[in-house]
Amino acid sequence: MYVLRRFVVAIPTLLAVSILAFWFVDMIPGDPAAKLAGNMATNEEVAAIRSHLGLDQSPIARYGLFLKGVVDPEIAVSYRTSRPVVQEIGERLPKTLIVAVGGLLLGILFGVVTGVICALRQGGWFDAIVTIVTLAGISMPIYWLGLLCIWLFAVELRWLPAAGAATPWHFVLPVIVVATRPAALFSRLVTANLLEVMGKDYLDTARSKGLSETRVIVRHALRNSLVAAVSVAGVQFGGMLGGSVVTETVFGIPGLGRLLVEAVGSSDYPVIQYCVLMFAAVFIVINLATDLIGQWLDPRTREKSAATGYGRI
Amino acid sequence: MQPLLSFGLSVRRMAAALMIATAMPVVANAAAEGTITIAVGADATTFHPHVNALPVGNAVDMLVFEQLFRMGADSKVVPQLAQEWGWSEDGMTFTVRFETGHVFSNGNPLDAEAVAASFNQLLDPKSGSIYAGLYASLGRAEAQGDDTVVFHLAEQNGHILMLLANSAAGIIDVKANAEMGAEYGRKPVGSGPYVIDEFIGGERFSLIPNPTYKGALPATLEKITFMSVPEDGARMALIETGEADVVDRVPADAIDAVNDSGLAKVILPDSMFSISMELINSGVLADRRVREALNISIDRDGMIQGILGGLATPSVGMVGPGTQDELRATFPPKPFDPARAKDLLTEAGYGPGNPLSLVVTCPNGRYIKDSQVCQALVAQWQAIGIDAKSQVMDLSNWSANSRLPLSERKDNMTMVGRATAGIDFTLYRLFKTGVSTNISGFSNPEVDRLLAEGRATVDPEAQKKIYGEVQKIIWDQDPYVFLWYQKQALGVSNRVNGFAIRPDETMIFDNLTVSSN
Repeated sequence: MYVLRRFVVAIPTLLAVSILAFWFVDMIPGDPAAKLAGNMATNEEVAAIRSHLGLDQSPIARYGLFLKGVVDPEIAVSYRTSRPVVQEIGERLPKTLIVAVGGLLLGILFGVVTGVICALRQGGWFDAIVTIVTLAGISMPIYWLGLLCIWLFAVELRWLPAAGAATPWHFVLPVIVVATRPAALFSRLVTANLLEVMGKDYLDTARSKGLSETRVIVRHALRNSLVAAVSVAGVQFGGMLGGSVVTETVFGIPGLGRLLVEAVGSSDYPVIQYCVLMFAAVFIVINLATDLIGQWLDPRTREKSAATGYGRI
Repeated sequence: MQPLLSFGLSVRRMAAALMIATAMPVVANAAAEGTITIAVGADATTFHPHVNALPVGNAVDMLVFEQLFRMGADSKVVPQLAQEWGWSEDGMTFTVRFETGHVFSNGNPLDAEAVAASFNQLLDPKSGSIYAGLYASLGRAEAQGDDTVVFHLAEQNGHILMLLANSAAGIIDVKANAEMGAEYGRKPVGSGPYVIDEFIGGERFSLIPNPTYKGALPATLEKITFMSVPEDGARMALIETGEADVVDRVPADAIDAVNDSGLAKVILPDSMFSISMELINSGVLADRRVREALNISIDRDGMIQGILGGLATPSVGMVGPGTQDELRATFPPKPFDPARAKDLLTEAGYGPGNPLSLVVTCPNGRYIKDSQVCQALVAQWQAIGIDAKSQVMDLSNWSANSRLPLSERKDNMTMVGRATAGIDFTLYRLFKTGVSTNISGFSNPEVDRLLAEGRATVDPEAQKKIYGEVQKIIWDQDPYVFLWYQKQALGVSNRVNGFAIRPDETMIFDNLTVSSN
């Protein structure tokens, strides 16, 4: 019921996004028909292409068609390829997800493990190394790190392919590069949260029950410190979808980010508009998912959301 | 191989056709062997010849489709399917008889009906064809028997062979296109030596030999794979590690690294991409002396070496190399003479108290180092006392700006690169009075007359004379600040033999082989 209500609430949000996506893209200077026709095309030739694309209709009519295109793929076609946008997105989405989910999982794994170790061994050499590495991970632009990795692992060491997406090996470098930021963030976050809860009485209670220290840390301390981390993971995942624009360009991966960059470059309005709409929908789903996971981790928020219907406050 | 005398050919026209026919490609018998991987910066989205606008797409279309005429590595027009051809006496009908027995890769026959249908779709803007305007003078195609197609021309046009040799004139299977819709752009059905094996949007596509191919240029390779890698660094890594055999758009600062890899060498072929500042020839720039002053006050060689890393050659005519070289005229390069430029400005009435004000528009990221070139130009014009300001625009605004009517333009010039196969098309569209692509507003009655005459004649000698005159007038009138022709830079693996690329940046695979490694 709660989930259903959240989806109903999302509809006005998506409608607002659709208006923004449609009108902002439509306001971009330049004419998609002129782009397609090239700089040697006369005004008459551009007008013929504009009419073929339906750009000579009124903006209201085109917005109506844009909305209709959400349910009818035959209307929502790319200017460049004439294929339905859903088809274009459909074949690109898996590659973006592999990199984003892979990067996030690797980041969480690395972040949580190093975070726990750092919290337990405060001030040790491991803590110092992880602090330096994580600070570098947070500050290093993905673009730069990606090129450095290509240079080291592909050109110098020849361990991994430089670019493309033909084999699983092609995804190793992008996933590692994308994982650096969440890994760094989680490591810092888990350490800080663990240190905060470590002194709490309920951990002494757990210890006094005779639980092993590992069990105390993993089942009690870590679980509580993960509540905040889950929200961060949601934001990170959204950010990774946006960041795919950069990663995919550097590594030549044919994902959504590349599709979007190319669509902007060639004024392929339908692809831009539906991509933005889809990103918005994905964000809404991620928010919902993080709320649900948060509630599972922290039973107190369940009652609140049951009372208000809007998740954690 | 005789032109069709029954269509009333004059001897002169026949000679023209024969001259072209002698360049017929030699039949190759070698079996397809080896594979090649090519990493390109651009992202091919469609191979439909009526919609494709990328050089990579042109290269693929030449492999997948056959044409009545084609252009090889030397940019010369040669017959491909065509066997006999000729114009009617009034120059309004063009007839081609072609070789029969060819089939599309799906088994459909490539007969006169198919050829006519392919051209009629190309000529129909409602089909989404972006070349309907370029080909408009072909009028309408009609099948005659099994082996002849007749073009009922919309106007006299002596440059039809050039149009027919362009890869947009590849013969598509209209029936398969209608069944497949947009998918035809990815898995086109043609009668050429190769077919598309797989297409992964944004990543790679590959071609394999077409078993039904009947022509004279059979596949030489078992597989050609194209990868799309937009990031320069990653693309260069592919050639340095041997993952790719050819890469395009090698940045100037990566040339040494590729050469030093021991696996590949960088080649720097000419490009027809002619970069100019297209001046608005009215207002302050209506005075020819001012336009000349702008042209002779810039150090082209210095900018090419200092900014472009040597990847250009100074202009010696408006159109770039490879633009129908038989009709292209070249002239001594514009001198670098700031002192004379100052004198010209003084003569035109400008001086320290009354400086000439100019706004100089450039795109950012469209041509090699475009915005830096803009700064350099402005600085050099300021050095001769001009109050010049640069206006660097993003690509959308820059493109929209150059389509504004002249009266609404707020600048005095804009940087544009032109690259079109065909002297007639290029000069007609850029310099004929009143044509909407003539964004300099250049107007010269003599040029107008010559352009009309040049289009109507089919005699190559007459064309050479006419277009020579047109190009001379344009060069002397300085309607543009002519800058340079960009150079291409490609990394080619040592195992690749016979790789060729035309000045229009179309790769040619006719004689390409790879040695095993």
